[in-house]
Amino acid sequence: MPPRASKKVPDGKLVRVDVEAEDRIDDVRLTGDFFVEPHAARRDIEAAIEGHAVDVDRETILAAVEDVEATLIGFSAADVADLTMEVLDD
Amino acid sequence: MTDDTATATRQTDQPWTIVDSGTYSEAIQQALERVLLDRVASGEIGPTLRIWYRESPAVALGRFQAYADEVAPEYVDREGIDVVRRITGGGAMFVQPGAVVTFSLYLPAEMVSDDIRQSYADLDRWAIDALRNLGVEAAHEPLNDIAHETGKIGGSAQRRTDGAVLHHTTMSYALDIAEMLRVLRVGEEKVSDKAIASAEKRVARIADHTDASRSDVVDALIREVREQHGASERELTDAELASARNLVTEQFGTDEWNRQL
Repeated sequence: MPPRASKKVPDGKLVRVDVEAEDRIDDVRLTGDFFVEPHAARRDIEAAIEGHAVDVDRETILAAVEDVEATLIGFSAADVADLTMEVLDD
Repeated sequence: MTDDTATATRQTDQPWTIVDSGTYSEAIQQALERVLLDRVASGEIGPTLRIWYRESPAVALGRFQAYADEVAPEYVDREGIDVVRRITGGGAMFVQPGAVVTFSLYLPAEMVSDDIRQSYADLDRWAIDALRNLGVEAAHEPLNDIAHETGKIGGSAQRRTDGAVLHHTTMSYALDIAEMLRVLRVGEEKVSDKAIASAEKRVARIADHTDASRSDVVDALIREVREQHGASERELTDAELASARNLVTEQFGTDEWNRQL
């Protein structure tokens, strides 16, 4: 199982981020009991994180996630960036 | 009056209907959500309340949940429990025939607040009123829970399309909690945080707080909608069921969909 991080967002939902990476972030999986519209945006967020170098900084990941056109309900782009960094920093 | 206004007016003025019949597999139930939501979006049918009747125990998985994180795979395989992914986000629900109350509202989009947090509160309110009329002190707990002081009674989930909103809710009437904990991997990941783990496991069951039978609860829900909207009852059409069965073959009965994540 790939490295992962998860959090229950206060007043929000549970979000999990799985990250497979060597030199670059190869594969990201974003799952949980959150809501997002449109539904295809979940995969767009994953794709926005993939391809970055493993020493990427939080601001770059945050900007990439915020660039995805989506309404996030029960979590935020910052939550996704924090969880991604938590996995990468481990 | 522009054509757009005429359409909007026709949709909101369409009478409510209630579907309170038909026992189906979990896959057909979830497929019906797609079918009826699309029919409201296209204006073919007006605002509709559907009460669910289930054939067997099942898990309704949230749209974005990972299968392996939510269910105990060996147990559900051995017990033959269907696990079906919904078209709505939110969390996994374990359901048993006669032990939960599930209903769906399919509404023209203009009837529902654009503010998502507000719309959950609005669309949960009538069910909470119905429970209170039966003596169950239920309350809306943001974002999408129906709560009692002893725990969570149920949860709602919404799906929005261009023209329509689906709001469906499952409430525990007399759910077998021990069985639920065998089926769902509730809070396993968070054992380090005992407070959260125990909170997730705290399910409040309607039957523990009222003498009303399950069908009394359903009647109370229907009465609430009838009084507010003057709804009439109907059954699902053959065409609606045929569409749902096709969707089961193509989507809701397949591992590609149910185990997609």
